[in-house]
Amino acid sequence: MNASASSISHGHAGDASHGDHGDHGHGHITLQYQPGLPLSRGKLIMWLFLSTEIMFFAALLGSYVVLRFGAPVWPKPHHVHLSEPIGAFNTFVLICSSVTIVLALEAARVNKAGLAKNWMLLTLLLGGLFLGIKGYEYSAKFSHGIYPSAPRSRIYERPDLYYGSAVRGRLEELRREPKDAWQAMKYKWAVAWHRSPQAASLHGWKEPETVDRLKELDEMPEAALTAEQLDSRRKLQQIQKMVSSPDQQAFDMAVVADQVMPLPSEGAAGAAGSGHGGGHGSHGLNDAFPWLRLPTVIPGGNMWASTYFLLTGFHAVHVAVGLLVFAIMLTWKLNAKRAGAIENAGLYWHFVDLVWIFLFPLLYLF
Amino acid sequence: MSDHGTHSHGPVTRVGESADEALHHAIEESHGSHEEHAGHGGIGKYMLVFLALCGLTTMSFFTYSAAWPWRDQPQVGWAFMMAVSCTKAMLVILFFMHVWWEANWKYVLTIPAAMMAIFLAIMLIPDIGMRNRMVSQERALYMARGSDVQLLERASKESPLAEPAGH
Repeated sequence: MNASASSISHGHAGDASHGDHGDHGHGHITLQYQPGLPLSRGKLIMWLFLSTEIMFFAALLGSYVVLRFGAPVWPKPHHVHLSEPIGAFNTFVLICSSVTIVLALEAARVNKAGLAKNWMLLTLLLGGLFLGIKGYEYSAKFSHGIYPSAPRSRIYERPDLYYGSAVRGRLEELRREPKDAWQAMKYKWAVAWHRSPQAASLHGWKEPETVDRLKELDEMPEAALTAEQLDSRRKLQQIQKMVSSPDQQAFDMAVVADQVMPLPSEGAAGAAGSGHGGGHGSHGLNDAFPWLRLPTVIPGGNMWASTYFLLTGFHAVHVAVGLLVFAIMLTWKLNAKRAGAIENAGLYWHFVDLVWIFLFPLLYLF
Repeated sequence: MSDHGTHSHGPVTRVGESADEALHHAIEESHGSHEEHAGHGGIGKYMLVFLALCGLTTMSFFTYSAAWPWRDQPQVGWAFMMAVSCTKAMLVILFFMHVWWEANWKYVLTIPAAMMAIFLAIMLIPDIGMRNRMVSQERALYMARGSDVQLLERASKESPLAEPAGH
């Protein structure tokens, strides 16, 4: 009604100047409503919101592209354990969910509330699947020490002496003796766990501490280890020697880095789909003994991690908000009266899909 | 709803119509145009768009496969994928977001936002994109280099640690 109030003066002016509304000209005010844009308020506001979202994601994507092409080195997707097939599957999931929300809207428009609810439920499930896959991908990054920032991130840019000293520091940390009774008790349980996991799990211990594992690993008889673990233990011992000597060349640190987490070469990744695979075996020490959590070298990896987690994180937050909206809507009766609301939620959801359409090739395939 | 005239011009404000009526007409009209077009768009059209989107996703995924002929020229793949992505985006915007069937207000909202988005990205180039053209010696020391990648890849091919200990 604000519009009618503001048009009062206009109506008056019109009447006074040419007075051609003869039939109700007895001091009546003729109201003229001039709608700004020919669409409902909800939809107008949704589109205004989406235009701010366009700029928001344009800034994020633009920064990513500009950072990526301005960087001296940028990691290949397989250097940072990105799986293209998983990304493509997630794209497919999101496209499917876009279709289902459109079908929910169509069903609601013809007043088929039950059908609309089913489609919306399917959309909710597909969105949940997307987030689940995303969470799985995140955990794969975390397990390789790829985090967006310093305390947890184990990414080093170059295989230089700083990297060498970080590896040495970590190994020393692992070698430290149990300090107090609590640590000693944990050590005891660790040994118990190794001999009989069932016995240890009875006492609530799931996995022994890394400190004790390293000690144990050195003392373990060869027969107790698999061939791969035996090989990894030998490498670990050689690396310990290598990083302890103070005058190491940069090339040797590249050898260390390669043993900790190999950087697959371009040729190896070209063989479709394998994802991993350097010149030698595909596994590094961090794969054979994940509890070692040794620092790794990924040239350009820090900037990559920052942009990857920021972009996919903001996108995931948008997905989560969409799912919340759908969950609320599922409690409604989705008939023709609600079609406008479903349309607005759908517009938002398509926008989230749209962002992923650009994120997928930029992050996974470039 | 047929007496409302052409839909593409939006609602016609009638002289002497009350504000409530006009608002009612305006909303009805914008909704009415949907229903009419959904009639000859409909679920079949959505399915067609869905298939096109799946096909396009497969096409961009194709650049990752070994069969992609321009492996040594990544720029070809980038251009191809951006073209595919823009096509997909247009399909989603035009059909799923119903923009194809909307009145001219769509330009008022989308074009300024799109222009702002493009300018925003361009403005990042000098400060962010070119930040590594001139760097201090200290920074260059700690910065990753292309040669590091070659170093790591060579280490992975001829690693002394890869030999068994007995040799």
